[in-house]
Amino acid sequence: MNKEFKTIKTEIRLPYELAYGATWTRFFEGMSNQILYGSKCEKCNRVLVPARTFCPRCFIDTKEWVEVPQQGTLTAWSYVNYRYFGQPTTPPFIGALIRLDGTDVDFVHLLGGFDLSDFEKVRKIVKNGMRVEAVWANERKAHIMDIRYFKPLA
Amino acid sequence: MGKAVAIIGVGQTNHGRRMDVSYPDLVREAVLRVYEETGLSPNDVDGVVSGTMPSMMEGVALTHFYFADAMASAGKPILKTETCGSTGVSLAHTAYYWISSGMADLVLAVGHEKMTEGDSQATMTTVVEPWYQRYFIAGAPGVFSMQSQMWSVRYGLDEKKVRDAAAYISVTHHDSAFDNPYAHVKIRVTAEDVKNARVITYPVRLLDVCPNSDGACAVIFASEEMVKKLGLKKVAWVKGLGYRGEEYFFGDSDKAVWQSAVQAAKQAYDMAGIKDPRKELDVAEVYNPFTFQEMLFYECFGFCGLGEAPDLVLQGTFGRKGELPCDPSGGTLCTNPIGATGLIRTAEAALQVMEKAGDHQIPGAKLAFSHAMGGVDQFNGVMIVGSER
Amino acid sequence: MSKKVAVVAVAQTPGAESKDNLYDQAYHVTREILDKSGLNREKVGTIVSAASDIFHGGISCANSYYWETTGAFLKNASRQDGESLFAFFYGVMRILAGHYDTALILAICKGSENPENDACTLMFSDPFYQRELGIQETIAAALQMRQYMDKYGVTKEQCAGVSVKNFRNALGNPYAHKRGRYTVKDVLESGMLADPLTELQVAPKSEGIVAVLLASEEAAKKITDKPIWFKGYGSSLDNYFLGDRNLLEGQLPAAAARAYKMAGINDPRKEIDLAEITEPYAFQELLWCEDLGFCEKGGGGKLLESGITERTGRLPVNPSGGVLANNPYVSRGLQRVVEAVLQLRGEAGEHQVDGKRKTALAHGTHGFAGQCHAVAILGS
Repeated sequence: MNKEFKTIKTEIRLPYELAYGATWTRFFEGMSNQILYGSKCEKCNRVLVPARTFCPRCFIDTKEWVEVPQQGTLTAWSYVNYRYFGQPTTPPFIGALIRLDGTDVDFVHLLGGFDLSDFEKVRKIVKNGMRVEAVWANERKAHIMDIRYFKPLA
Repeated sequence: MGKAVAIIGVGQTNHGRRMDVSYPDLVREAVLRVYEETGLSPNDVDGVVSGTMPSMMEGVALTHFYFADAMASAGKPILKTETCGSTGVSLAHTAYYWISSGMADLVLAVGHEKMTEGDSQATMTTVVEPWYQRYFIAGAPGVFSMQSQMWSVRYGLDEKKVRDAAAYISVTHHDSAFDNPYAHVKIRVTAEDVKNARVITYPVRLLDVCPNSDGACAVIFASEEMVKKLGLKKVAWVKGLGYRGEEYFFGDSDKAVWQSAVQAAKQAYDMAGIKDPRKELDVAEVYNPFTFQEMLFYECFGFCGLGEAPDLVLQGTFGRKGELPCDPSGGTLCTNPIGATGLIRTAEAALQVMEKAGDHQIPGAKLAFSHAMGGVDQFNGVMIVGSER
Repeated sequence: MSKKVAVVAVAQTPGAESKDNLYDQAYHVTREILDKSGLNREKVGTIVSAASDIFHGGISCANSYYWETTGAFLKNASRQDGESLFAFFYGVMRILAGHYDTALILAICKGSENPENDACTLMFSDPFYQRELGIQETIAAALQMRQYMDKYGVTKEQCAGVSVKNFRNALGNPYAHKRGRYTVKDVLESGMLADPLTELQVAPKSEGIVAVLLASEEAAKKITDKPIWFKGYGSSLDNYFLGDRNLLEGQLPAAAARAYKMAGINDPRKEIDLAEITEPYAFQELLWCEDLGFCEKGGGGKLLESGITERTGRLPVNPSGGVLANNPYVSRGLQRVVEAVLQLRGEAGEHQVDGKRKTALAHGTHGFAGQCHAVAILGS
């Protein structure tokens, strides 16, 4: 028997085409017009963003659309400093949970608008509880990256 | 309630980078060991439960087919349980219900993963939906580091103390792994090593994170009648089980006081009649892929009060000689073949109460807690086992 | 079984493509079944879903994504992979163990968003050997069909007759994905896919979010006056490599024997009044009928010709049109349960079978040429 065992290199790529459905189609149309939509649950009164067809907790249809403010408060952040296959965003980047004003859940997006190359400097700038604001892309495609990132407010 | 159920035997592979065997042969290694350990043969079992991580991780879909021969399950009833990272404990739950419902007397549960063959973080990214969050959530470390940060800020915990406690956990678990013949990562590390390791996702550094392991775990569950029929003295009775899940969208639920963890543990405690877990439990195998997160679990499981974990960790409360030893096997931090990991936690808990844990035995352990977590920081499952029926 | 478990409500989506996203669709089906049974989300005991990542829009850990759509927020729920009858059985076990009074079972597969079924089933093959050869479910079925016809002299016309019957039955089923009036000639002359299989003998790729609410005897009384009782279940898995298996002596007889034993059925020909079986390839309905004991070995073709398995016959098989008419891969087993329940309750509408029927069989299979089978017996 060989001491070295062989391996086979193989890759799985499969094509999928996923429906946005009515609610998310409208949400992303909003993004292309620099509007963030949330849904308000009439039972628990929570405002969910991105907009939802139903409230996961009350389990009823959400009926009310609300335009959500584009400023919020940082709830948590993560300086990402490693790479892997298929990673859609190039490190280093900062993934963040942002509680947009007037909403009841955290919106996930990026923090940016400042130099990310030195982690120790980043650490001095970014604090939970800091105020942030959406920065829109010049060209928008009804896509989550229509917001480039959220930048800290002075 | 249904019939009583016991774990009567455990088989584990030598976990690690196992490019010396094919994936089916790896699975077979664990299955052979549990049959050797129990003296039973595949003909004796009424059914097999198999489970793993998603097909993207394996490179093969519906792996109960692929492992039919390795698990000696051809011609047998089969169930295929998958709940992401919590698969292992969900496998234990499935085996429990199969017997407790009266539908079987002997069930083999097998969890497996060959992580070095796939790309775990790339797979984790495909767990996140492609419209909203996939761009921002950097695999598991990204989610977990945000969660632990939320927690330390919530309780105003001193950053240095939290860092020291996490380093303490890393050092002690790495030491424990030397006493576990099946553990993957066996290196001695110092607190300074941990604190100076490369940042993966702040505040998580390299030595705060579990490895990618190849491994499988096979556990045989039996009804009370079968335990008597086989004349077994040392078994691990299932005393309690609990499971809870939260919303998919990261950000919808509070992760500092993590309700799925709190309520999964409560469901298991209620069934087992446990009121004060820190006093009543003798040992816990917490699913701890990240040092910081382990402290959050201690609090959510009621091992201590909210925000208290770092102090108690540094006092040694959860160390091998402490009041409630946690992860004496070295835990997930040193060995993580994900689809098997949760079942390894339950298997290790069973070994403790059967007094078969060898060099990492907690003397006199009678009641043990096991746990696994999964989804987008979403699911928690618990199984409690004890030496007494 | 000391305790009894009943199906108390069912719901399903149509098989054709919906523009709704999977997340909302799953919510709508859950909402529908809760409304039908008069339960709110809080009252549901436990939830067991079925889905496979490979058939799940490229989103891994399928149940992470749809968790709250099934009403599972902060509930004890679990998931089965590959076969939705596994989830059905797991739900039954959770009630029989006495932990829960109700269990919601959901099967989720939005086929319209996935690659071709063959692209997905190719991933069941091992990466070294069978996959490199391109072995997937349709090719495996073609090999099985060739053996079946050769061994028993079953004709290709008899095999095509299954498609004729099932597409015709589907004309009365509002949830069916494919339906139509075809002749045997039409079926045989439809394009060749993998000889001897032609296009109209192969199931489509459909959407199917399928829900069943299970309840203990006590809970069932409060929800419905037409409970359909769980009577028996059996499953069996075959060896892995296609070449290691005898494709004509598979695992279905073993799975059926386990289900019949639990249900106390001695003579399935007499005691089963109706069957919904999984026949992704037309000839498999004939072979599975033999394996289920509806006729002797090799007698599947004659059974079909006798008219016994027609909707008007003594033992109707696939009055819904079966899987040829609607094939949401993972959901199809549970969909057979739903159809059996509708028939036993007399609620199947235009595809309702004649006369009073007491006992029904629901069958699921997945993998190559019947690699794994599951059988459930239900009774009014």
